[in-house]
Amino acid sequence: MTDILFQAIVAPLRETFFQKALIGGSVAAVVCSVVGCLVILRRMAFLGDALSHAMIAGVAAGYLFMKVLFATEAHAPAMLVGSLIAAVITVASIGFVSRVSRIKDDTAIGIMYTGVFAAGVVLVSVFRNHIHIDLMHFIMGDVLGVADHDLWVSVLAASFVLSVIILFFRQFQLTTFDPVMAASIGMPVVLIDYALTTCVSLVVVSAVSMVGVILVVGLLITPAASAYLLSDRLDRMMVLAALFGVTSVVGGLYLCMWLDSAGGGAIMLFCTFQFLVVLVVAPRYGLLARWLRLRQMVPQQLVEDILGAFSRRIGVPLSLSEMTGFVSDETRKLARGVKSMVRDGLLVPREGGFVLSEQGQREANRILRAHRLWETYLRHVGMPEAELHPRAHQLEHFHDTESISYLDDLLGHPLRDPHGAEIPANYAECAAGNVCSVSVLREGRSGVVESVPEGMTDVSLKPGDKIVIGPRRDHDAKWTLRRSDGGTAILDHEAADAFLVRVDSD
Amino acid sequence: MGTERNESPAITVENLTVSFGTRPALLDVSVTIEQGLLVGVVGPNGAGKSTLIKAILGFVKPDFGTVRILGEDVDRAKGRVAYVPQRGSVDWDYPITVYEVAMMGRFGHIPWWRDPGPEDRRFANEALEMVRMADFGSRQIGQLSGGQQQRVFMARALAQGADILLLDEPFAGVDAATERAILEVLDRTRATGKTLVVVHHDLATAAEYFDRLMLIKQRLYAYGPPEVVLHPELLSEVYEGKLKAFSLLARAEGAR
Repeated sequence: MTDILFQAIVAPLRETFFQKALIGGSVAAVVCSVVGCLVILRRMAFLGDALSHAMIAGVAAGYLFMKVLFATEAHAPAMLVGSLIAAVITVASIGFVSRVSRIKDDTAIGIMYTGVFAAGVVLVSVFRNHIHIDLMHFIMGDVLGVADHDLWVSVLAASFVLSVIILFFRQFQLTTFDPVMAASIGMPVVLIDYALTTCVSLVVVSAVSMVGVILVVGLLITPAASAYLLSDRLDRMMVLAALFGVTSVVGGLYLCMWLDSAGGGAIMLFCTFQFLVVLVVAPRYGLLARWLRLRQMVPQQLVEDILGAFSRRIGVPLSLSEMTGFVSDETRKLARGVKSMVRDGLLVPREGGFVLSEQGQREANRILRAHRLWETYLRHVGMPEAELHPRAHQLEHFHDTESISYLDDLLGHPLRDPHGAEIPANYAECAAGNVCSVSVLREGRSGVVESVPEGMTDVSLKPGDKIVIGPRRDHDAKWTLRRSDGGTAILDHEAADAFLVRVDSD
Repeated sequence: MGTERNESPAITVENLTVSFGTRPALLDVSVTIEQGLLVGVVGPNGAGKSTLIKAILGFVKPDFGTVRILGEDVDRAKGRVAYVPQRGSVDWDYPITVYEVAMMGRFGHIPWWRDPGPEDRRFANEALEMVRMADFGSRQIGQLSGGQQQRVFMARALAQGADILLLDEPFAGVDAATERAILEVLDRTRATGKTLVVVHHDLATAAEYFDRLMLIKQRLYAYGPPEVVLHPELLSEVYEGKLKAFSLLARAEGAR
């Protein structure tokens, strides 16, 4: 057993090519992932793809340039510089096309990078007798065949890019998050954009020899995306992304040894698998967490149905089974709903079931008020008696203050619903200390006059007088006020709306 | 702070014309805003309200005309104007905490080779306290309510130490209670002597909230106290007799 493990894990480490692959791959992955964080936050993933493809033209041009002028084969620095030039040309032409025409950014990227890539392919194939570049090698990458000069290029590019990112972290952070503000405090936004594009080109160029043109964009964005699902700060996201990049390379290389597969493919496969795991299990932004949250969420409708059940059985504890009659959902959901309502302080457990807390009572009254006002309204618009209750039961879930106040006013602030049941007053509006219209106050409430409508001189009330609300008259269409001197004032609907009172406590 | 009191107007805009393409978004706008005022910018959709804000920030270059901040050319006044973006234009999934956003206000004061110092941390914390968000420092910004999100960006503007704050629709899409809370922060900020320019869409509340109103639709139609600017004839001209504007105005007048 240990022998097999040894063979699988330690033996590859003794091979020089494996060591080089590990080092080169890790370096490239770290810097790719860190830059990738900025790339995905700026939504320019597609641009990474474009740059990697454009490279081939630059590599071929650099190769030819050195061969023609100095007769040196495969001069690495020249090919690197060529790649960077090709990248800059691609970015510039993308910007140009989308600026001067109606072509949008994504289309411009697609056009220009395939164009430059095609130019590279043609160049390589036309000069195939002079250029010794293996196109397949270029497209698929060869992490196990990393040459020393590739390693050096990688390490140099990585240390340069990482230094830039660390030194100018704040600048990259702010220009990515809020370019308008960045410009307003004098940051050179355009220059920083170019710096980032250059960094992306550099890391892409250094990673292509490992994983190839097609997969390099994955190395750029996948570890960063995994980190994105796990972090709430950019600096931590970058550290985490770098870690994921390295684990992808290590895991991928072993996978490639065990399966004897292509190196780049194995690395990206492992990286993608890693992302999928994170996508499922991430504590806050993962699918599992999301599913759990949704499961725990109790529908508002259920809460209101339960409150409705209580408001019709005042003072008596209700057990779970007694509630089922009032609620359309199945029992399992009901139990969870009741539990969450206890947690929210709406219900209190008692012997023989549950009772409403004070807050629950208020909520229940609010819904009862909505229900009965809707019934009155439906009656008002001529709905037959038998349909009133079920329709109002659906409509009571529309109980925002504004809608209900509108109904109340429209119906003349009714005291009873069509079945003769009392409509509760609006608790919040009539709370002690509030200023509200006389029209919404019920009999027996008292208060101090705040303002008297213009033109109402006959009631001889002035601000500061104490009044008590009396019973309604004329089929509830007239309000009466008892003054402290014993007299009575009578108001119609309009006057009662305009007559403002600061309410005393009950 | 110990800086000498500058007596120049907070913002001076002269003959400002800004265009995107052939049609100017702003045409020949001239206005002088004195210091210490809470100014509302009103006008229909697409009237150039946001463009004006961006021109005052120096983010869009005028085709003609000048913007001066406290008597200085806008290009030389970088950092004296702070900006609170529209809520819709912010990436709320961005991995950044409330405290980090407030700290961004200091970036203009920190040389690129240095880390934020104790002074900067103090400014950021004070700004968060001012908007009552100090307890949320380590929250990611997407996990806040709409009003809290707005206040975080207010804190960033305050931490910047700018004398002039520009706010783009801070009241868009928040409920009435939140609107009150934001307004209270604006009032307190003005009380410290700062000038605030706020893009606002609700004519009904404009009179109540602001010291001065600026009515624009490509051109400046009026600038002055609300009772002067909210003139029915002016409004019908700017809003082209759209019914909504009139009913809002009726409500505004009824409330007074």
